[in-house]
Amino acid sequence: MARLMDLGLEKLRNMVLDMAELSENTVSTAIDAYVQGKDLRERIYNWSEELRMLQDEVSELAVEIIARYQPVASDLRFVKSCMEVAYGFSRFGRYAHDISDVFGIFGDLSTCDKTAIERVGSQAKEMIRLSIKAFTERNVEMASKLPKMDDVVDDAYLDFVKRSATSPDSDTKCMISGTLILRYLERIADHATYVGESVAYIVSGERAARK
Amino acid sequence: MDKELKAENTKPILISRPVEPLKIQTDKLNAWFGNNHVLKDVSLRIKENHVTAIIGPSGCGKSTLIRCMNRMHELVPQAKVSGAVLLDDANVYAKGVDPVSVRRKIGMVFQKPNPFPTMSVYDNVAAGLKLNGERDHARLDRAVKRSLDLAFLWEEVKHELDKSGSSLSGGQQQRLCIARALAVEPEVLLMDEPCSALDPIATAKIEELITNLKDQYTVVIVTHNMQQAARVSDYTAFLYLGQLIEYGETTNLFENPTEELTERYLTGKFG
Repeated sequence: MARLMDLGLEKLRNMVLDMAELSENTVSTAIDAYVQGKDLRERIYNWSEELRMLQDEVSELAVEIIARYQPVASDLRFVKSCMEVAYGFSRFGRYAHDISDVFGIFGDLSTCDKTAIERVGSQAKEMIRLSIKAFTERNVEMASKLPKMDDVVDDAYLDFVKRSATSPDSDTKCMISGTLILRYLERIADHATYVGESVAYIVSGERAARK
Repeated sequence: MDKELKAENTKPILISRPVEPLKIQTDKLNAWFGNNHVLKDVSLRIKENHVTAIIGPSGCGKSTLIRCMNRMHELVPQAKVSGAVLLDDANVYAKGVDPVSVRRKIGMVFQKPNPFPTMSVYDNVAAGLKLNGERDHARLDRAVKRSLDLAFLWEEVKHELDKSGSSLSGGQQQRLCIARALAVEPEVLLMDEPCSALDPIATAKIEELITNLKDQYTVVIVTHNMQQAARVSDYTAFLYLGQLIEYGETTNLFENPTEELTERYLTGKFG
């Protein structure tokens, strides 16, 4: 027999999955636009705002479910995780917007070496894809791959910063814009890891220690 | 029965092991109504000055469990008990123990408020003390005020102590019964669904009272209302078909139960 709460939980899940799709697309578009030198700030800003509003809606529905049905055990963990995951997806949108904003700050960046950003960007996109798949399928094993992938992103970011700071040939504009974008990608990777941690929490109740 | 329960004799399914003193321990407690085996090897450790909730579906043995704790179960014809219940270190079922003295130390409040209908508010509270031979008016007055105070009722009835206990509202009657139980200064208070007949306001008062009482008493509450268990208790035990399925800190049990049966019961997937 279906429980009344199941209708609310299903709606919540669908809203979070809508956010997942939009946030993945937003980050991907922002990275590609930077690499291709396209100014898509307005489009990405609009998507980022949409994600923010969706996050509010997820929070409202989660609170309504708590107030109406007082979920416990795995239901409670799922509702709590949906709020956290929705926040993560909203942050994806915000960082995508920040990436696209770099274009506005620095203008033409066509002379900069974008190899590191392309590489880290691909890794971040893969992490988002994986975190969403793990969340959708409640797949703890898949989610457990994310922290190692996050380490790769962290290392790449630090490596870029160190190289830029010590290289006598560094172009200031390229160095600062590259550092900013890699920093945003590093934060995106962190949030993808948090989404993965939520999967473990929903399934087993285990909480990962945050770095 | 050993004075102290040995670890190998008890297998409490504790999520977190308590470090505070234990007030009541049941060891392989079994109870029957005739041939109906209603409690099966229940070993439970109840911490002093905490609220422990007993939850589970109808007929799982919740009420029987607490009625075994103060030897009320044996008042039912053909009822039988085996195993042990330790109050502090003493087995309440040991030979020579007077059940009345057990019930004095382990008081009980029932589902339906049951003040003595022909008695005044004052006499309801003083009844137990008078039965124990207390005749000193000043001492009785002090005990009645103290008990009504503890039950959050004094301010509401202090000018109407001569009024009949049954003339109070349902919530007030239940608090009167709590005051009556507290008057004889028990060490443990057992509550069998104390709010099931009350409205939300009266329920809130009792719940606040329960939280307050644990400073001085050990409270064990049976409830069908899981949200109530979550609100008022520090520890929760889940019973199913007479067996203790899971016992642990309330927050852990409600957020992350370890047993599949507990998960299914809490989330309303059976019961």
